[in-house]
Amino acid sequence: MKVIEAKDLTIYYGETPALKDVTFYLDEQKTLLLLGPNGAGKTTLLKTIACFHREYTGELKVFKKPPCEARDLIGYVPQSHVLNERVPLTALEIVAMGGIYKRGFVHFRIPREILDKAKSLLAFVGLEGVENKLFRELSGGQKQRVLLARALMSDPKLLLLDEPLSALDPSARAEVTNVLNKIKGEKGVAMVITTHDINPLLEIGDLVMLINKRLIAFGRPEEVLTDEVIKSVYGPMAKVIPVSGKLYCITGDFHIHRGGGGI
Amino acid sequence: MIPEFLLRAILASVMVSVLLGLLSPLVNMKGLAFLTHALFHALLFGAILGMMMALLLNNYVLVVVVAMITTVVIVLIIAQLEKMGFTSDSSVGIVSSFVAGLTVLGFGLLYRVMATRPYFPLTQNIVSYLTGDIFLVTLSDLTVLIIGGTAVFFTLLLLYRDFLYLSFDPEGLESYGGNARAYLMVLYVLVGVTGALIVQTVGLITLQVVAVLPGAIALMVSTDLRKVLAISLFLTLAVQLTSVILAFSTTIPPSGIATVFLGLIYGGLLFRRR
Repeated sequence: MKVIEAKDLTIYYGETPALKDVTFYLDEQKTLLLLGPNGAGKTTLLKTIACFHREYTGELKVFKKPPCEARDLIGYVPQSHVLNERVPLTALEIVAMGGIYKRGFVHFRIPREILDKAKSLLAFVGLEGVENKLFRELSGGQKQRVLLARALMSDPKLLLLDEPLSALDPSARAEVTNVLNKIKGEKGVAMVITTHDINPLLEIGDLVMLINKRLIAFGRPEEVLTDEVIKSVYGPMAKVIPVSGKLYCITGDFHIHRGGGGI
Repeated sequence: MIPEFLLRAILASVMVSVLLGLLSPLVNMKGLAFLTHALFHALLFGAILGMMMALLLNNYVLVVVVAMITTVVIVLIIAQLEKMGFTSDSSVGIVSSFVAGLTVLGFGLLYRVMATRPYFPLTQNIVSYLTGDIFLVTLSDLTVLIIGGTAVFFTLLLLYRDFLYLSFDPEGLESYGGNARAYLMVLYVLVGVTGALIVQTVGLITLQVVAVLPGAIALMVSTDLRKVLAISLFLTLAVQLTSVILAFSTTIPPSGIATVFLGLIYGGLLFRRR
């Protein structure tokens, strides 16, 4: 079954197209890496799939439905730095957030079974013992893993991750990548991951899509990641180097990306 | 024997403290300080409309009722502008500029209506709206404050966690099945209704300060949510009661004393941090 099908998709902000004529698909349990420079439209595409943004033409189906009708099947993981850390919420409370909104409007108390599930998901992402720590006191990698656990609370079939490795040091990147691998292997969830730095994620990516306000290339990594394609997006200094049978992309585009749009 | 007006003032202080103590940390965490500024304009505009109607219909309860309805309508317009894609600050800016202009025009009209009437008690009323005078709270004012305040208190309490999640990550709340816009609307209405309920006791001029500073101070002192709420509640209550007692013995307006106290505590904490 196709998890995502997009045909001639053009996404607008007002009258201005942010991303034009994109056609791609994603199968069940597969992972799509969405690559492009800052302002390419990666976050916009992710937010459109998540039904945060609704101005588009063309066809976009998520589990054969319009995105807003498939919301229950989608887990969205934002960049951790866009969250308001002034709110003193604990790791456990944040994970529980992912499970309570299918139950009514008022949530004075978090039900016991939700708390238990939140604890087990924190353990799944390797964060036992931090339940009562404030989110703002966690390291970057821990924050990202808390957000992954929160996304898993609703048992999604599709995870949308916005720059999960941005602003992380190499060890934290490895921690988050390991958890993503684990999610792919054990939960069988399809994923769309936007990233500037594709190299740590290449192992879990089944498909790669390069965009820069339009579709540049879409396909399997070895088809898409060629010198010619990478240079067309990132300039003449960019290149793809095969190292021990694996591809390594040098794009020179490692800055922190701030997502656009909003509610 | 405690004079009846002092007893009313103390009871009003307790209710105001409970509402502001709970609301103030949210105002800070959600970044609604500018919205409370818009509330200042909305309440003044609503009070002027209410005074005109009160004079024309000879019913002075209309002042509070019209002020509250006007404020709620204005915060809903702000929320609607945000829904249309304007940022919170832009929405508040757009509405505030219109309302501020209308308030000045309203004053002109109010003076004309006042000129057509014989003696009426509104001169004191408009002053109490601006500076707040807790000693002028009547039994009916107190009844409205306690009934309305209790409703606001329980609504706030029941939805507090949702408001925290809304402040933390509105997109997340939306993506997990919550209705971020509905929560935002409810929060804005609660802020508006709270402002309308307490304005006669706190005063428009000091409303923004007493709505923002207790929460700001509590968030500087603690990172534990329960402690933040306890500090905010205790601080508001202590400052309100102290100012009422000081005002009773010195005849200085209590809202002025409360604001100066809060300013001193906040300033002192900031200096200590440096």
